[in-house]
Amino acid sequence: MRAAGVAGAALIALVAVGAGAWMHARQQAAGNRAGTHDEVAVPAGHASAPSPSDQAAYGDAAAPGNAAYQPPKIPDQLPIFSLEDRTGKTTSIAAWAGKSLVINFWATWCAPCRREIPLLETLHSEWVGRGVTVIGIAVDHRDQVLKFADQFKIPYPLLIGEQDALDAAAAFGMASPVFPFTVFTDRRGEVVTLFVGELHRPQADLILSVVQNLNDGRVHLPEARQAIADGLSALAAKRAG
Amino acid sequence: MRISLAFLLLIGFVGVASAKPWWMRGIESNETDFLPPDTAFRVGAQVDGSVMRVRWVIADGYYLYRHRMDVKAESPDLMVAAPVFPKGIFKTDPYLGTQEIYQQQVEATVAYTRLDAGAHPLQIKVTYQGCAEAGLCYPPISKVIFPQAPPAGAGASVGAGASEGAAHWKGVGLWEGTAIILGTLAFLLAGFVLRKGRKLDLPAP
Repeated sequence: MRAAGVAGAALIALVAVGAGAWMHARQQAAGNRAGTHDEVAVPAGHASAPSPSDQAAYGDAAAPGNAAYQPPKIPDQLPIFSLEDRTGKTTSIAAWAGKSLVINFWATWCAPCRREIPLLETLHSEWVGRGVTVIGIAVDHRDQVLKFADQFKIPYPLLIGEQDALDAAAAFGMASPVFPFTVFTDRRGEVVTLFVGELHRPQADLILSVVQNLNDGRVHLPEARQAIADGLSALAAKRAG
Repeated sequence: MRISLAFLLLIGFVGVASAKPWWMRGIESNETDFLPPDTAFRVGAQVDGSVMRVRWVIADGYYLYRHRMDVKAESPDLMVAAPVFPKGIFKTDPYLGTQEIYQQQVEATVAYTRLDAGAHPLQIKVTYQGCAEAGLCYPPISKVIFPQAPPAGAGASVGAGASEGAAHWKGVGLWEGTAIILGTLAFLLAGFVLRKGRKLDLPAP
């Protein structure tokens, strides 16, 4: 009888602790789900765990997952724009007509942009003999770009601009650009793909091999685009796995 | 009915799984799900006595550079001091060197003075720039925002009285209170159960 009493008391205590834990978990889940961390207090001047809904009290109008954006139209054909080159001469992108282009939008303050420059140099040296030209579009202050380009001896052509370079980015559908992004065209000036973010060797090899097939007439543009989309998905899955 | 619900859930899942940021919805851009800048970095400000608290909420996998964050007065009658930021994390990049960054959330304190006792709406301009760990950066962003008055009853929690290191979650207090009440109940019930089953061995009078 005494043992049964002790067991009963232990059971009640366990139920009490379990109920408390359940309430705690429920409270946290509700806060995360509905964004109702109204009670989170953050002391002045501290970086801390995020409390997105608490931001409402700070007049934050943007909500996560804001779907108010309209999708831009990425052009089918290379848009024609002109920017100054390293010497200050205004140069049109049409100067490379007849070439497949790898047009890389970047900025000196952007770490992933800097990281991918050695890859772009390699691509330039490997593909320039096969009708592919790498062009850097620096959206940045001219003096900083020139200093950086000299320091790292960037071998491929550079076009430089600020608002006019942003306009060029907008012509590719990137009205609110992020950096880096890279546009690949075939030799007819068709935009084959636009790659957002840091480019890596497997992705570049995949895209350029498809562009080569396109240039050689082995595939048509829709098939080429599909092959790139499938290949990039496979690479992403491989990287994630 | 059960099948219909499952079908709807499946449709919903497929819809969510295929959702892409607006700039990914053109022709064959890569599938990487980078966030729009206003989703990656959310900013707001609150008035708190003689200071404003400007808070950035940063999405997972994203960060802001300390040296590219600033707060300036926008109202003509407003003067603001240099924002005071907490210490961040030091990130070393072989191409940019060591940079101080913030992840998740950061709050800066900005002392301010108004010259005409509030004839103009309170406006500040915030500037910030950040990147995604996955290999992408956003250009510097500038926004004019309107610092909000603190919600009623919230002054004590976010106000000047919040001391260094005194981070607390009121929600945790509720949890603690619940645990104490339930624990006390468990203790009383346990005592009742034990007492009920016990036969006292008292000496005969």
